[in-house]
Amino acid sequence: MQSFICPFCSLLCDDIRLEIKNNSFVPLNSNCLILKKSLKRKIKDHFPRIKGKKTTMSIAIEELAKLIKKSKSILFAGMGTDTKGTKVSLDILDKFGGTIDHFSGDSYSKNLKSIQEIGGVYITLAELKNRCDTIIIIETTDQTVPRLFEKYIFPKETINKIKKRKIVYIGSKKPQFLLKNKNRFAFNSIYLNSQNLLNLISQLRQKINNNSLDSTKDKNLTFLFKLLKNTNYGSIILSASELDKDLCDLIINEINLLIQDLNKFTRFAGMFLSGIHHLVTVNEVLLWQTGFPIRTNFSKGYPRHNIDQFSTTRLLAKKEVDLVVWIDSFHEEKITFKKNIKSVLLGIPTHPQKKNADIFIPLGTPGLDHNSHLFRVDKVVSMHLKKIRNISLPSVFEVLSKVKERI
Amino acid sequence: MIVRIKNAKVYDPTNKVDGRIKDIFIKDGKIIKRPNPKEKISQVINLKNKIVMPGGIDIHSHIAGGKVNLARLLLPEEHRKYLYSSTNNLRSGSGLGTCTSFHIGYKYAKLGYTAVFEPASLPANARSTIIEMSDIPLIDKGCYTVLGNDDFLLNLIQKKTSQKKINDYVAWILTSTKGLGIKIVNPGGINAFKFNQRELDLDAKNKKYGITPRSILKILTKSLIDLKAPHPIHVHGCNLGVPGNVKTTLKQISAVEGKPMHLTHIQYHSYSNEGDRNFSSGAAILAESINKNKNISCDIGQVMFGQTVTTSADTMSQYRNHSFAHPKKWICADIECEAGCGIIPFEYRDKNYVNALQWAIGLELFLLIKDPWRVYLTTDHPNGAAFTAYPRLIKLLMDRSFRNEELEKINKDSQNNSILKSLKREYSLYEIAILTRSGPAKILGLNNIGHLGEGAKADITVYTEHQDKEKMFENPFLVFKDGQIIVKNGTIKKVINGKLYIAEAEYDQSIKKEISIYFEKYIGRKMSSFEIQNQELWDHGLELEQIRCSRNDY
Ligand code: SF4
Ligand SMILES: [Zn+2]
Repeated sequence: MQSFICPFCSLLCDDIRLEIKNNSFVPLNSNCLILKKSLKRKIKDHFPRIKGKKTTMSIAIEELAKLIKKSKSILFAGMGTDTKGTKVSLDILDKFGGTIDHFSGDSYSKNLKSIQEIGGVYITLAELKNRCDTIIIIETTDQTVPRLFEKYIFPKETINKIKKRKIVYIGSKKPQFLLKNKNRFAFNSIYLNSQNLLNLISQLRQKINNNSLDSTKDKNLTFLFKLLKNTNYGSIILSASELDKDLCDLIINEINLLIQDLNKFTRFAGMFLSGIHHLVTVNEVLLWQTGFPIRTNFSKGYPRHNIDQFSTTRLLAKKEVDLVVWIDSFHEEKITFKKNIKSVLLGIPTHPQKKNADIFIPLGTPGLDHNSHLFRVDKVVSMHLKKIRNISLPSVFEVLSKVKERI
Repeated sequence: MIVRIKNAKVYDPTNKVDGRIKDIFIKDGKIIKRPNPKEKISQVINLKNKIVMPGGIDIHSHIAGGKVNLARLLLPEEHRKYLYSSTNNLRSGSGLGTCTSFHIGYKYAKLGYTAVFEPASLPANARSTIIEMSDIPLIDKGCYTVLGNDDFLLNLIQKKTSQKKINDYVAWILTSTKGLGIKIVNPGGINAFKFNQRELDLDAKNKKYGITPRSILKILTKSLIDLKAPHPIHVHGCNLGVPGNVKTTLKQISAVEGKPMHLTHIQYHSYSNEGDRNFSSGAAILAESINKNKNISCDIGQVMFGQTVTTSADTMSQYRNHSFAHPKKWICADIECEAGCGIIPFEYRDKNYVNALQWAIGLELFLLIKDPWRVYLTTDHPNGAAFTAYPRLIKLLMDRSFRNEELEKINKDSQNNSILKSLKREYSLYEIAILTRSGPAKILGLNNIGHLGEGAKADITVYTEHQDKEKMFENPFLVFKDGQIIVKNGTIKKVINGKLYIAEAEYDQSIKKEISIYFEKYIGRKMSSFEIQNQELWDHGLELEQIRCSRNDY
């Protein structure tokens, strides 16, 4: 039996116990689908590859160093890595120019625009768990951070001694995971699409700010107005990736403004979820080292940040880069290859596209194959994960440090 | 290898050296009395006409942690204004008030500072803060862990738990977060704000726990004394920024009944509410009280004019002031049942009555507090201004005619409501060395920095004497860190890493059982994943300097 901090999403559950059976791991006390799926991967081989053909680590590293030296414009994409992996990536970019983006860049950029424009009121997981008498969940399922709900939203005991938490689901699909647990809280749901969601929140803000329902007949509006007026501490949980692409910016902005409005008379905060690839970790390191979040470029010798200009999709489509280094040490995210752009994949040994990359270098997973620091979804807490597996797979830090020595 | 520094005029207040020409010998990064006759001196540095002081120490400067990173996130425009290119030996970066990590190290070193302390490390954020600090080169660092609003402690106090058990808890949190000291921020107030209380004076009751800020203050003050902690309790008091709050500050001084307490950024806690604008200076009465109460030390948190950003764990006060945000955006967060975080960008304007008076109040305090050993130079970076304003601030303290010229420029009503013009005091170089070196080292309980006597680290700043004190202090001729020249004539010569000061405390481990249950039941994580291990910090290249809790002058 091995206790384990799970690195497979940014909840970083530290209560997992694993059974070890000839180098494979079975979770004993959790049914989390992401965890189970991640641990099931069977590593058949872990050779570095050049154009699909097996090679040695030192040759692969040598080749990557050559590509970086030759490149006029590098992109570090995906960036599924930990603090030290981010540090070494930035060190290389600072010397050689190039851009850094992340798998979750598209959905995050919507949050980011709103923060940079108006700010926000936030909450961490323990506050969410212990304070909130009301939680509004918008277009969020248990797919993104599976155990968020059992651990922090349906807890048995809270510091504030909350008796029956009020949970409202707003979204386009029926939330089976909530309906299953319905008797544990006071549940309500509102089904609507992104356009109607935007209207609802705008109207709600207006009513809240006028402190009156006027003569509205809208029953959702009336319900939410009364609910919020009687809330002591509430929060809104949201995952931007589930919202309509074109309206996402506006919806997030309205939600941030609604939260500000509510704090005039009660306490309210938001929590924005950010996916399974540890965007928060990468962003935090970027912010303290460069002053900017993801989508930052170093080709002029100093950091330049632009949410639209430096997106992976755009840079690849416009062929503004000649080398992409994809980094994915947690999962097997599908990556795109483009003609005339060299593609390097630093990925876990089971990555299905490993034979398609110009260079593939196998990576270990933080907290499985090496010690690591990762940030939790709420940005505040970071965890120290310890190596539990012994199949000598290197970390991003180890690989890129060797590359750095050669360039 | 021994280096001899000769002919310099030395200011070393700890060793009572006041501008004497004196030799200094460096061996293995430390200062030695003199080499034994057999040892060879490998380098002689002649510093004729130069002034030598120990490396500067900043006792209170927000250089790392979640709040600083949130401020960076909020203000890309501030970072675009200040961009720094990479060079052969330096990394790129950006920003001023929320300057990026590498450049915090570079900038402090270039000002002759060699040790800086982050005063608001939230327990849950401590690991992140320290990892961030591993990217601040050249200077030594340390953190004060924030307590006084955590539900665990408030619950212990509510239950009238014994002081001994509370001390065990404090010692546990200090060591497991790798802090050097403990800071209270708005005792009980951040927690009360989570229950929608919008103010909490010293004797008001927190809605949930029914306890007062006074009781929290008294208990934690005593804890640090009982533990013989290196630094006494570091206090950001109640009612920050509220007109009339000087009354509360005075009450706080009497609340600790003669026990050692460090009051931080007192400028923000020195306001009276007289006059037609209900805002006036309380500096004179506060200074009088500090002069009388020898148990009190303080730093000022001087305001300097210009754009900056205020970052604080005090969500209650930050929320109260959010309408002053400039530009109009702000962030607040409630954090892990222990504290919070508020970020308000702010522009201090010399023609604004309140801002101009804040500037004058800070200077009044500097000039009215008589004992330089109990007042330290800070701007509460970046809250009052970025630390890069220190040379100018020093000039304001040392040069009365400059001060009066600057006073002429500010809002007329503020001028009339300040006694600044009548204050004749000018600080001497010796006193500046106390304010920025010896004093902070003494109150932090660190005896290997802040002086140039035997056994001290060879952290040395060499200035060229100049009539204009701003020019003198903004551009040291040489800076040594651990005996190595890191800065010469404004250029970084070598990038090395400073150390992290942490406190080592002994305590009854049985407290951990209760904490562990609390963590799993309420915090939703394990106590063991909260506790920071030395090994993980070494992995990030941090060297630790452990200070035992054995202070014997309380
Ligand atoms: S919720 Fe996330 S961290 Fe927790 S077990 Fe599942 S994948 Fe791992
Ligand atoms: Zn401060």
